[in-house]
Amino acid sequence: MNIVENFKIALSSIWNHKIRSFLTMLGIIIGVCAVIIIVAFGTGAKNQMTEELFSADKNIIELYYEPFPDETGEAVWTEPELTEQDLAEIQQLPGVKVAMGTNYGWGTLTHHDRQIEMDITGVGREYFYGRKITLLEGRYFTKMDIDNVNRVIMIDDFTKEKWFRDEDVVGEIVDIQGNPYKIVGVYESTIPPEYRWSESGEALMPRTTVSLMYFTPEITNMAILGESPETLAETAELAATRLTEIKQLDDGMFTYWSMDEWEAEFESFYNTITLFIGSIAGISLLVGGIGVMNIMLVSVTERTREIGLRKAIGATRMRILVQFLIEAMTLTLLGGLIGILIAYLITFAAGQILPFKPVISPSVVVIGASFSALIGIVFGILPANKASKLHPIDALRYE
Amino acid sequence: MIKLINVSKVYVNGSLKVPVLHDINLEIDDGEFVAIMGPSGSGKSTLMNIIGFLDKPTSGTYELNGTKIDSFHENELAKLRNQHVGFVFQQYFLFPRQSALKNVAAPLVYANVSRRKREQKAKEMLEKVGLEDRVNHLPNELSGGQKQRVAIARALVNDPEIILADEPTGALDTQTGKQIMDLFKRLNTEGKTIIVVTHEAEVAKYAERVIHLRDGKITEERRDTA
Repeated sequence: MNIVENFKIALSSIWNHKIRSFLTMLGIIIGVCAVIIIVAFGTGAKNQMTEELFSADKNIIELYYEPFPDETGEAVWTEPELTEQDLAEIQQLPGVKVAMGTNYGWGTLTHHDRQIEMDITGVGREYFYGRKITLLEGRYFTKMDIDNVNRVIMIDDFTKEKWFRDEDVVGEIVDIQGNPYKIVGVYESTIPPEYRWSESGEALMPRTTVSLMYFTPEITNMAILGESPETLAETAELAATRLTEIKQLDDGMFTYWSMDEWEAEFESFYNTITLFIGSIAGISLLVGGIGVMNIMLVSVTERTREIGLRKAIGATRMRILVQFLIEAMTLTLLGGLIGILIAYLITFAAGQILPFKPVISPSVVVIGASFSALIGIVFGILPANKASKLHPIDALRYE
Repeated sequence: MIKLINVSKVYVNGSLKVPVLHDINLEIDDGEFVAIMGPSGSGKSTLMNIIGFLDKPTSGTYELNGTKIDSFHENELAKLRNQHVGFVFQQYFLFPRQSALKNVAAPLVYANVSRRKREQKAKEMLEKVGLEDRVNHLPNELSGGQKQRVAIARALVNDPEIILADEPTGALDTQTGKQIMDLFKRLNTEGKTIIVVTHEAEVAKYAERVIHLRDGKITEERRDTA
């Protein structure tokens, strides 16, 4: 029998038992709906976080020092001091667009009667270019600021708005740990507001100044802006090896810390969680499938005479089998489609309220629909086989 | 032509063996109108099932048009049922949710006939049994006689040479029963082999040959030469 004819028989049989069919489908509807919503939320949340965490610095990789463990298995942390010369060496390497050196300071900023805890990054001028720092007010640090170890500071817009509101801050003299600094500029923060967990303000200072005031080396961290994301890891490898060479290290080495790796790890972690919760929801699909099997078995018994008649007018076993398989499949597929529709409506509504956008990818819809059809086939086999095995005489005689 | 040679049927129920037919020898030529009569339990339904390929004999040989079908596979028997016989049952056995047209066309579905041809053929058959104005009616919108006509149209639709009717008038009043038997008679004159299983002498009168069955054996045969 052609498939279309079977579909029609299936649909009319489903339609003739509306309530029963709906209740049978409910398990599938809920299962498919739950799985799709969970995957949609998971994907949406992951996309959102990935975008916020990783989009800015896709092409930047940080180098760090890793000491070798000694004979006792302990690692002794004597970090080699990095200099402007080392930075210049790394800048020469192929694939390196900008080599950035930074160090860090902190302290309480006092201005009139307000006191603000500050995190300070000591930078060179290459940092503005490498990190794409956007200036909102005032100016960047000049070469003179760096070379002359000027006591200048730039604060980010978040710090400015939180503590200074609409005051004019450029040109103001502030006090940090008892020393005066001049605010020369306000820059756009590179940290998205949702991830601004620290209560501190953020500021930039020439790294020479940080080095002098905080007794740290001029460069404690080195990062590279690569020429292309594809060759970034390669470039970082080259730079780390070169740095280890220059510093003539034998109790440790420089290596790199890749955002890519972290992102992959983060993504796989998220995917694992989504998969895990999704699988739990998938159990309801199994339960739904068993419900379908149950109802199909009842249906076969009820339609014993129909089956007998079909056999009497020439239906082979195979045809009866296919008819009932298609009926089970139609039932679950229909349930799956309704589930997808409801999931779509719910995620759409949730997307209006939630801070992130749940994503139903076409592949999830296709997988959801085919999987629900598959459930029908799997759980339809037993009833369909039972139907096909009925002997026509017994079936016709059945009251 | 149907030829049964030494056909026996034994139903096995657990360890209990129930013989139903004993060494039946029977020949039915093309174009005959045969009635099989007998009290209930005489084995007439079993005989009809065997003739109609719904059941297989336990022993003996069945030849259809000169071909032995004893070793036929289930699927081949299904094809025989589809192509060579049309069944008419006492309780009509129509698909209750399908129109008369769909019911009549059903055997053609299993003969892989295209949809358009199916409908055309089914319409022709409904015309033949005088139901051209009931094409889209559901079985529960039809009288008993009309239902049986639909069943006959269904039996005819694949143009089989044999029509097998099991108590076709059993659920009908005398008048309607007569009309149905007249229809069979007409089909017989058009060349169909008609085999009617019945216990009503009134019905058997239509046949030119009556076979009496008792305890699984043919006890009497009467042939009307008229």
